Amino acid sequence: MRTRAAVSAALASAGILIAGWQSGIHVADTGSAVASAATDTTGTTGSTGSGGTSGSTGSSSSSGTSGSSGSSSAGGATGASAKAAATYDGAVVQTRFGSVQVQITVQAGKITDVTALQLTDAERKSVQISNRAAPLLRDEVLSAQSADVQTISGATVTSDAYLNSLQAALDAANL
Amino acid sequence: MNAQLLSTRPEVRRGSRGAANPFEGQHRRRLLRADLLTVLFWASLAGAVALWLADGGAAGFSTLAGAFTALGIVAGLAGMDLVLLMLLLAARIPLIDRTVGHDRALEFHRKLGKPALYLLLAHGILIAIGYGMAEGLDPVSESVALWVLVPDMWLAYISMLLFIAVVVTSLVAVRRRFPYEFWYAVHLLTYAAVLTALPHQFSVGGLFAEGTWQRWYWLALCIATGAALLYYRVVQPLAATFRHQLTVKRVVQVSPGVVSIEMSGLRLDLLAGSGGRFFIWRFLAPGLWWQPHPFSLSAEPLQFDAAGQGVLRITVRNLGRGSAQLASLKPGTKVAVEGPYGLFSTAARSRKHVVMVGAGIGITPIRALLESTPFQPGNATVILRGHSESELYLGAEILELCRQRGATLFHLTGSRPAGVRTWLPENSARAGHRLASFDPKIAEADVYVCGPAAWAQNVLEDARDAGVREEQLHYERFDW
Repeated sequence: MRTRAAVSAALASAGILIAGWQSGIHVADTGSAVASAATDTTGTTGSTGSGGTSGSTGSSSSSGTSGSSGSSSAGGATGASAKAAATYDGAVVQTRFGSVQVQITVQAGKITDVTALQLTDAERKSVQISNRAAPLLRDEVLSAQSADVQTISGATVTSDAYLNSLQAALDAANL
Repeated sequence: MNAQLLSTRPEVRRGSRGAANPFEGQHRRRLLRADLLTVLFWASLAGAVALWLADGGAAGFSTLAGAFTALGIVAGLAGMDLVLLMLLLAARIPLIDRTVGHDRALEFHRKLGKPALYLLLAHGILIAIGYGMAEGLDPVSESVALWVLVPDMWLAYISMLLFIAVVVTSLVAVRRRFPYEFWYAVHLLTYAAVLTALPHQFSVGGLFAEGTWQRWYWLALCIATGAALLYYRVVQPLAATFRHQLTVKRVVQVSPGVVSIEMSGLRLDLLAGSGGRFFIWRFLAPGLWWQPHPFSLSAEPLQFDAAGQGVLRITVRNLGRGSAQLASLKPGTKVAVEGPYGLFSTAARSRKHVVMVGAGIGITPIRALLESTPFQPGNATVILRGHSESELYLGAEILELCRQRGATLFHLTGSRPAGVRTWLPENSARAGHRLASFDPKIAEADVYVCGPAAWAQNVLEDARDAGVREEQLHYERFDW
């Protein structure tokens, strides 16, 4: 009977571990795919951790940058109309998981957009956290219209850095 | 005249010999439950690691710093899982109690203490090294930085210290130097240790980040553990206390230093068959109410009417400061009760033949078991051991029960021989008696043993030598 327990326990544990491992590989793939969904880089391999890291960071920051620069140039093009939008870069905040810098778009004294120029990217893990936290923080900031919002639990370091950089940008915009 | 046969062995009914074993089904189900619990235990550990793997955790191994961090995370998750399992083992969950018994569960709980602590220490050290390497700091500076800069981390450091304190004070050698109450108070710090460990897992730990189903899994696990503790260790005891309304009826001196405490109460029909199992009693008298006393029933609950009104009895020896005060309990004292716990009962039976061996105050649960456990006349042997006849507590009652039910009774009295590891008195050991000498069918019997730890170990060893399998041995520790 003890052998029955040992064998079933070993089989169950092995099964659970293999299932976890398999879905882990799957998650690494979809994770980078989601991160790069904004850009048209399809089929990120995500075979290794470092590959996944650089891939998703690159895509998230590049998509952010291109999006915001597009809007700011558009604002510049319409000239001195009431709808003029300006962008302000926040300070670069260093954390143990990488640097964080945000850019805000201000239109008629209101924050209309927040984009992350840099996000914590020290490890694949941090990238995942950043990708999860950044949209949440952006929504909160846009509705609160200030840097006085709650940090995202599970991403406190990233959130703090994000909001610090944001405050610097707000200061620069005199908001 | 130390080994004397007190009952004439009634004739064994021929028909009962070949009859099917009535306990086979119960025994098979219990073994199945035990195997199931073993599988659950390992599966939960595998699950902790698998959830981390499912999150893509293995990718961390691509760099050296990442490998340290990854190992640290795995150690932390496994350590957390073990701590939760330890809490569940101590929660007195009926499924666990009915399967392995309360004392086995606590024994396993104790065995997990050190591995859990090592895993948590490894978690802290490996993470400090891994993060430090990623940032170009030595582990010590990194630890300081984590303490100062990352929110909730200072709580995690406090939790670590609490865990160390709890495990160290629980180690046997250290525990002996402190009174039980001190150990108990420190043990309560486990809850503080777990609670202070939780914030950093959910705020700093990326695995538990918002929006992941890993977060829900761990949250559910923590809440379920907390709920089990609250229900089985607080709600159920309170409910039992209010349901049974126990009050001390009288305190009877059995022999010098030994008293029987009789308590009257309600709904005792619910406790039928729990003779031999133990309850945790609190006598609600000034200076006594805060002391929990684990004692077995020394008789089946006596029921007077259909409503379950009746009497419970425990028999107690002056072992410690607390037990001594019990002799002077006043009738009418209210009693809070938790239980019944343990497997020293018919629920553990696996064979139709049964051998019960008791020494000193350990005789009293044997007395209750003898009263209730089913056996055919001639299929039971009772062996009582004490320094003198007066130490064979409740001896007269046991003799009467053996006569009525057709059990063979042996009294073994006298001191044990010097320098020999035996459970027998000197003359019996000299004569070359073994456990099998008292019951030749012992290899095919359930063997119940209750007595001082060292003595009981000798009995169990003798039984194993006689061919009794581990699953047939039922042993209750009563000197914690």
